[in-house]
Amino acid sequence: MFAIHVENLVKTYDSRRVLDGVNLDVPEGEFYALMGPNGSGKTTLASIIAAVKMQDSGIVEIYGKKPAQAKESIGYVPQENFSSPKLSGKENLIYFAGLLGYSWSQANQLTAGMLNKLGLSEQADKRVDKYSGGMRKRLEVATAIFPGIKVLILDEPTTGLDPAARRAFFNMVQEIMNKKTSIILITHIGSDAELASRVGLIDNGKMIAEGTPDELKRKHAVEDVITVETAMKSDSVTSVLKDYSINGKVKESEAGYKIYSRNGDRVLADVVRNLDQAGHKVMRIEMARPTLEDVFFRLTERYLQEAIE
Amino acid sequence: MRQISAAYVKAVKELLREKAALFWTIAWPIIWVLIGSFSFTGSTPQGVIPYIRGAIAISMMVFALMIAGMSNLPASIAGDRANGLLAKLKSMPIKPYRDFIGRISAVITLSLLAAALVIVVGTAVGARFTGTGTEILQAIGFVFLVICASAGVGLMAGTLIKNLQGAIMTGVGIAVITSAISGLFAPYEVLPVPLQVFSRVYPISSAQASIVHLLAGPEMVAYNPLTSSQIALTITLSFALLLIGTVLYSRLGWRLD
Repeated sequence: MFAIHVENLVKTYDSRRVLDGVNLDVPEGEFYALMGPNGSGKTTLASIIAAVKMQDSGIVEIYGKKPAQAKESIGYVPQENFSSPKLSGKENLIYFAGLLGYSWSQANQLTAGMLNKLGLSEQADKRVDKYSGGMRKRLEVATAIFPGIKVLILDEPTTGLDPAARRAFFNMVQEIMNKKTSIILITHIGSDAELASRVGLIDNGKMIAEGTPDELKRKHAVEDVITVETAMKSDSVTSVLKDYSINGKVKESEAGYKIYSRNGDRVLADVVRNLDQAGHKVMRIEMARPTLEDVFFRLTERYLQEAIE
Repeated sequence: MRQISAAYVKAVKELLREKAALFWTIAWPIIWVLIGSFSFTGSTPQGVIPYIRGAIAISMMVFALMIAGMSNLPASIAGDRANGLLAKLKSMPIKPYRDFIGRISAVITLSLLAAALVIVVGTAVGARFTGTGTEILQAIGFVFLVICASAGVGLMAGTLIKNLQGAIMTGVGIAVITSAISGLFAPYEVLPVPLQVFSRVYPISSAQASIVHLLAGPEMVAYNPLTSSQIALTITLSFALLLIGTVLYSRLGWRLD
């Protein structure tokens, strides 16, 4: 029996199919990432699994039970900060422990241990409105890992955190989780999804690919990713780079220009030479293996960030 | 029971730490008790002034109860919805009615605290009250009806108005406007006839008139609010408002889509 079983799930809002026949199986103890742009249906899928919303049709089961009958096993961390800013971290945890039926003394004992594990002991009595974003998110994860929780659903938990805080957050999650707890991570950040043992890519309410991060990259992203930084940005840089991009697209970002290309080793030298001839000084050029965000691009012909925008 | 006490403790702590809630529920009515108590002309008979002050303190106590139920309660509901707590609660094994009992108990606690402080300050500045033990108990019963009616309106506002500021302002607006037009801020006899009718039907002003009648003397109220039919109407409408609010909150308050 799977920890989470989703079969042919359909959800419609105002005649728009947000989920269109989604299938998903997550075995016990697996860390599964569901990656897709905003509006792809991933948060809706998470909230149906978490018993917050109802599907129009299809099957959702947590260890063979409907989510509404398996709430004791579900730990859900919605995207928004839901902890009370007027209460301390400890008071927040005691509140949630109380909702789960723990007595005052049990709740006190349990939360002290959890705060310690989360590295929040020193801030336990501080009001949450004085917490940093990372601390607050850690506290909120704690509300979803009380004993008895078998399925942990994290909806965009690292939004707004810097890369170091994101890494620390996932280290913490993996450390504190029981090996039998299944985790579903909802994200649009490729580097977060890389940490999962399996990744599902969702777009326009449909699962478009699924596999381990390595499998997905091997199967769907055969190109090299070339990032170029020039002294000045201009349209003429874009027009030079276009010739080397397999789809004629050049993505411009703060880190420079990015193109997908086959035979990256050979292209690299040509790009430098042609930019130089066009009068553009290359400050940095590098080639990298594709990421999960590149896999998403390869499958949808859209950059993940572009889709988000 | 543990879920109710958890929701209660959280809501009480939040209310007591919210400066705006404390100001509008406790400080504002007290300010008006102080202003009202020192604004008599020389023509007012000296012997009556303490009982007029008593009537003012009672009116402001009722206003405090209205703000607690009509504004603080919807603020608590809408705030929790806005910050995603209701989504979190829906995923947990908790029934909406247990959360509701916890919340409303917290509002009752704040209401009683506000009521006690307003009466204490009123007494300190010269308000005097009459009433036998039975009449005091009856007055406490009417206080309870004010809390029920206000909480009912607050539950409706918190359920139907999804926006936090909208829910707060709607609650404050209903409290202020209905207080003004039902004679809570002005003597019943100066109201136009349609508003006098409203004052008798509106359970909060009717309950306020009953408390004033019982504790400040019948001469402080221009009509007798303690007839059987008037009391029955006040009780029925107070519980009806609470019932409608409770049903709406239980059915719709946790609905997210």
